[in-house]
Amino acid sequence: MAALPDIALEARFASHSRYLQLVRLVAGEGATLAGFGEEDRDRIELAVVEGFTNVIRHAYGGRTDQPIELRLTVPSGVLHLELDDRGTFVDPSRIVSRPLDQVRPGGLGVHLMKSTMDVVEYRKNSHGGTTLVLEKRRRPNEGVPR
Amino acid sequence: MNVTVEALPKGVLLVVEGQVDMHTSPELRVKLRENLEKKMNPLVVDLTKVQFIDSSGLATLIEALQAVGKYGGRLRLCGLAPAVKNLFKLSNLISIFDIRATREDAVK
Repeated sequence: MAALPDIALEARFASHSRYLQLVRLVAGEGATLAGFGEEDRDRIELAVVEGFTNVIRHAYGGRTDQPIELRLTVPSGVLHLELDDRGTFVDPSRIVSRPLDQVRPGGLGVHLMKSTMDVVEYRKNSHGGTTLVLEKRRRPNEGVPR
Repeated sequence: MNVTVEALPKGVLLVVEGQVDMHTSPELRVKLRENLEKKMNPLVVDLTKVQFIDSSGLATLIEALQAVGKYGGRLRLCGLAPAVKNLFKLSNLISIFDIRATREDAVK
């Protein structure tokens, strides 16, 4: 596996869904720079959009003017993403997806994050809000970092 | 995101372009509902120009599938990019929807 470049991205967004496309592109470009292939880039993009959406909906109850910080680093072959909010701390034990055999709208976001990432964790942060941690390991046969 | 509506000899075709997420799915929902209220059959949604759908977009399509079933209509999707198709697989919805490879096949 080629050596990974030293990537560290930080961005701060308002909690508005208009930024979802930009959030997806930031995470996707970070993944490509770090040498992740197209399939994993797609998965990382999906996970970060689901995470950002959940922050707007659940941590901020739909408020559109609250801060969300995105941090992306790539230590030791792992893409490490954090979404930091200052909203209501979300008890991880209460974050569940609906059963997949129930075909109805909603309730899939957490399932999709867990299906696409190697690590999905919720931590209480110093602001009293939640830090969502998403990690994806690079596969040994993936391309050279750009 | 942009949605273009085209009349078919029978039914209607919705051509979706761009990203379907929490921000844009309400617009798709409005276009779908307009045609569901008219009991269009089939209702064909062409996703060829959609690079990305999230769970909000999926929820919108599930609502449409359930609504079309209430009047005995059919909802068909076509032109799914690999990332979009993978989303349907991850959500266990690949066999629930009528998914066609091409628009030509979907509008038959």
